[in-house]
Amino acid sequence: MERSAQEGKKDEINRTTANGNEKAVDSNSISKSFGSNTVLKDIDLHLKKNENLVVMGRSGSGKSVLLKCVVGLVTPDSGSLTVLGKDLQELEDHELNELRRKVGYLFQGGALYDAMTVRENMAFPLKRIPDRPSKSEIQDKVEEALDSVGLIESIDKMPSELSGGMKKRIALARTLILEPEIMLYDEPTTGLDIITSKEISNLMLEMQEKHGISSITVTHDLSCARITSNRICILRDGNFIAEGKYEELENSENKEVNSFFKN
Amino acid sequence: MKKNYNKSTEEEYPDISIITSPVKSFFYTVGDMLSFARSFVQNLFERPQEIRELLKQAYIFGNGSLGLVGITAFIVGMVITLQTQPTLAELGAESWMPSMVSISIIREIGPLITALICAGKIGSSLGAEIGSMRVTEQIDAMLVSGAKPMNFIVKTRVLAVAFALPLLVFYADALAFAGSFISLQMEMNISLELFLTQALDAVKLSDVIPATIKTFLFGLAIGIVGCYQGYYAKKGTQGVGNAANRSVVLASLLIFVIDLLVVQTQKLLF
Repeated sequence: MERSAQEGKKDEINRTTANGNEKAVDSNSISKSFGSNTVLKDIDLHLKKNENLVVMGRSGSGKSVLLKCVVGLVTPDSGSLTVLGKDLQELEDHELNELRRKVGYLFQGGALYDAMTVRENMAFPLKRIPDRPSKSEIQDKVEEALDSVGLIESIDKMPSELSGGMKKRIALARTLILEPEIMLYDEPTTGLDIITSKEISNLMLEMQEKHGISSITVTHDLSCARITSNRICILRDGNFIAEGKYEELENSENKEVNSFFKN
Repeated sequence: MKKNYNKSTEEEYPDISIITSPVKSFFYTVGDMLSFARSFVQNLFERPQEIRELLKQAYIFGNGSLGLVGITAFIVGMVITLQTQPTLAELGAESWMPSMVSISIIREIGPLITALICAGKIGSSLGAEIGSMRVTEQIDAMLVSGAKPMNFIVKTRVLAVAFALPLLVFYADALAFAGSFISLQMEMNISLELFLTQALDAVKLSDVIPATIKTFLFGLAIGIVGCYQGYYAKKGTQGVGNAANRSVVLASLLIFVIDLLVVQTQKLLF
C-alpha cells in the first residue's frame, strides 16, 4: 500500500520531468585527479529540472567528488560544468556564492555546527544572505523548516544532544531553508536504521514534490534509491557504466550492474 | 596558484609528500601560512562583520585564560624577586628592586609568559576546534551555504586573540607586581605605597607601547598559526591532534622570533 503511494508520487514527478527538457546540471567530459589518482574520467552528467538522479557505485568510485564538483568545492581538471545555466568556471566569488544558495548540499554526517544550537544552525545561512530577512522572518522560517521535518521541539538543543537521524533531518531542514532549486544528497541514509532511512527517503521525495527541487543523490542504500530515484547512474572507476530506471537496472543482464541490486 | 579560502576547499590538502627535503617542506609551509595570513588581511573589511562572534571568542579566550595566566604571573613575579633580591642586596642596590622588577615584567616577562601560555592554551584549542570543523565538513557546509568561513571562523578568532592578549598581559603584569610585592614584603619590610611609587615611576610610555604592540603581534601569530593548522587539518582524529600540536609548537617559535624582531626595531627607534 505504502509502496504504491510512493510509486504514484514518483510517476507524477516522472511525468513532470519528462515534460521539461531544461537542465539543472549539465556537465560534459569532466575529469578530476588528485595527484596520480584519477577519480573522474570524462563524465557527462545531465540533471533535468524536477528530476531526482541517484548515483550508485562502490566506495571510492568518485561519487562524492562528483557532488563536490557540482557545488564548486572541487574544480574539475577538464571539461565543462553548467549549473542552473551558469558555467562554474566562469563565476566570480560573489556569483558562486549566489549560485550556492540555490544548491543545497546534505553532507553525510549532517555537518551541523556543533558550537551552535539547532536554532542558530538554522538561522546561520539566512543571516548571511545579501537581502537578510528581519529577525521575526528568520524566526518564522526556522520554525517552519523545523516543523516540516517534525523536529520543532529540538529547536534549542545542541547537536550533541541529537540522534543521527535527527541530525540528518535538521541538516536537511537547514539546507532547505534557503529554498534551493537543486539538492545534493551525500549518503543521506548511511548509518541510520531501516525505519529512519525510510523516513528520510520519504522526506526527500516529499521535498522534491512540494518545492519542485531537482536532486542528485549519492547512496548505497537500495531502499532509498528505489523510493527517490527517477533515474539511476552507476559509477565505476570514474565512469558511468549504466543508466536507467531502478527496475531496468535491477533486471539488467549485465552482472556488474545487477550486483548493485542484490543484498 | 592564488588560493581562495572562501571559494573552494580543494586545495585543503597540499600534497607536500612529494617534497622530500625537510628544508623545502618548511619553506613550503611558511609560504602557505603567509598566503593564509594575506587572505586574512584581505578579509578584514569583508562584510558581514561578525562582531557578535568576535566578542564571543574574545570572551572565551580571555576569560578562559584568566586563571592560568594569573597564577603563573603571580608565581613568576615572586620567583624573580626572590632570586634577584640577594644579588641586589650584595651590591647595596636593594632599593632598586621595585623598579627593576617592574621594567622586566612590563617589557619582557609579562608579554612573553602570557603569550607562551596562550600559545599552548588558545593555539591548541584553535587547531583542534577548526580541525574538527574541517574533519566533520562544517567548513564545507559553510562554503556551500554561501557563507564565508574565512570571515566567520578565521577572522573572528584571530582578531579575538590579538585583542584579548594585550588585556591579559595587563592583568598578568598586575598579578606579577602583586607576587613581587609579597615576596619583597617577606624579605624586607616595604610598604605598598613605596613599592608602587618606585615600580611605576620607573616605567615609561616607551616601555608600555612597544610591549603592547609586541603582544598584539603575538596574538596575531597565535591566531593565524592555530587557524591555519586547523584549516589544513587532515582527515581523522590524528589529523586534529597533529593540528593542535603543530599550532603550539609553531606559535611558540614565532613568539620568540617576533620578540627578537620587535626588540631590535625598538632599539633602532627609541
